[in-house]
Amino acid sequence: MSNLTAHTAGRQGSVKPRLRGVRRLLTHQTLRRFIQGYFALFILVLIVRHAFAGEGNGAGVPSPEAYCPFGGLEMLYRYIVSGGRTIPHTHLSNLVLLIAVLVTGFLLRSAFCGWICPLGFIQEMVNSLSRFLQKHFIPLRKAIRKLKEQSSSLSELDKALRYIKYFVLVWAVAGAAYYGIMIFRNYDPWAALLNIYEFSFSQGTFILIITLVAAFFVDRPWCRYICPLGAASCIVGKFSPVYLKREESSCTSCKVCTKACPMGLEVHTAEKITSADCISCLECVGACPRNGALEVKIGIPGKWE
Amino acid sequence: MRIRPIIYGFLVLTVFLGVIYGFQAAGIWSVSGKVSSTGRDIQPMDSDTSSIKGWMTLGQITSTYNVSLEEIIQTFNLPPDTTLDTELRSLESDTFSVNDLRLWLQSRTPSEESVPTPTPTIAPTPTELPESIDEQIEEERKVSGVTTFQDLLDWGLTPETIETVIATAIPEDTSLQIRDYLSGTGVRFSEIKLKLQAELDKIPDS
Repeated sequence: MSNLTAHTAGRQGSVKPRLRGVRRLLTHQTLRRFIQGYFALFILVLIVRHAFAGEGNGAGVPSPEAYCPFGGLEMLYRYIVSGGRTIPHTHLSNLVLLIAVLVTGFLLRSAFCGWICPLGFIQEMVNSLSRFLQKHFIPLRKAIRKLKEQSSSLSELDKALRYIKYFVLVWAVAGAAYYGIMIFRNYDPWAALLNIYEFSFSQGTFILIITLVAAFFVDRPWCRYICPLGAASCIVGKFSPVYLKREESSCTSCKVCTKACPMGLEVHTAEKITSADCISCLECVGACPRNGALEVKIGIPGKWE
Repeated sequence: MRIRPIIYGFLVLTVFLGVIYGFQAAGIWSVSGKVSSTGRDIQPMDSDTSSIKGWMTLGQITSTYNVSLEEIIQTFNLPPDTTLDTELRSLESDTFSVNDLRLWLQSRTPSEESVPTPTPTIAPTPTELPESIDEQIEEERKVSGVTTFQDLLDWGLTPETIETVIATAIPEDTSLQIRDYLSGTGVRFSEIKLKLQAELDKIPDS
């Protein structure tokens, strides 16, 4: 924790001291990776256990789908109108997890996406692999840089595409409410990943492959444009008292924060980062080289300083 | 007020897991349809045959509904070596489905009107049973593994509606069972069944 003291105790706007040795690991970024890794491992163990136990395994080994918060949103309507009956592939645990995600979102913005979601973690890992390869293979670096330069003019399209996730959310929830089945499940890359041991090539598998390939070039493509759970978390997160504040007097607009943002937000120009797309991963805060230039704050929503 | 990023991380973990543990402590948690929130095995209810699920065993059925294994085997033409440990869904065939079993068990249960009259009723003979099952299936308009396209048409669904749901043309031979027809297309019958049932439920009873 002493490194954090050093971080924050420094003069406003001064350069943060370079952390060395073990201190380099005692950061919120390490904690985030640890939490993400823990939840991803938890799901992996469930998948493996369920794959070996099979469908008719008695009560001992639950399906990994029982731990999907979005299933809670899909079953919610039917659960209420039928007086407590779930729809296929869902259980009470899905509903509890949904509540946990929404409460976290309400209090701490879309922190579930940034700190816990295993699918987001997998995309980040693919993107990290891409960055590693770019570092060591110059032709690849040049090719991806050129691709990014060419696509920089598509920022308006990028903004428009981010609304798709809200339509997916409405479609998935309304469809499940109307038909009583999870109509989104066939297209869900997460469901495809959870059932990967079945070796059935569904639309979800296809979307999963596209997502992972896209994650090589763009960080968190699924989260940015399609994820309906992220959309629900975004909506709830708008009421959260937590926000990021950029102190203009300390900021040198070096754009390090913007480059570090996995959601592609323009952090270096914003006064306050209250975007619904912010997943509160705090990568920007960790990457910022100046003391006090970017900080996590709590305030009354709409009346932020 | 400022929060340190690392404290924020611990807050995220605390809130998320705190909510889950809170619900678990209150007994509101279940990761399987096979166990209750208190961890006990879910059993079929003798008063409600719709509580019978595909993962239940014949043993659970015989003990709950006071029916012998031999009777079930004989009625549904099941293999003679079928044991009490067999799951219902593994027995699905042209002559047996979970829904058929529900209806049959329902037909064995005395109706509420007949309860006050002490007069013993004659149980239907096994040869009569399949007919009554078929009649009830027809009356209740339930889509099951033995439902044919002709059944759907008879129950009032239009060919266009059926084709929209199954996302393919209906066969010329409408006596084909829907499940058999869809088996080669990669479409999951369990999902189509629910969609067709939803369409049927929209049609008012004549």
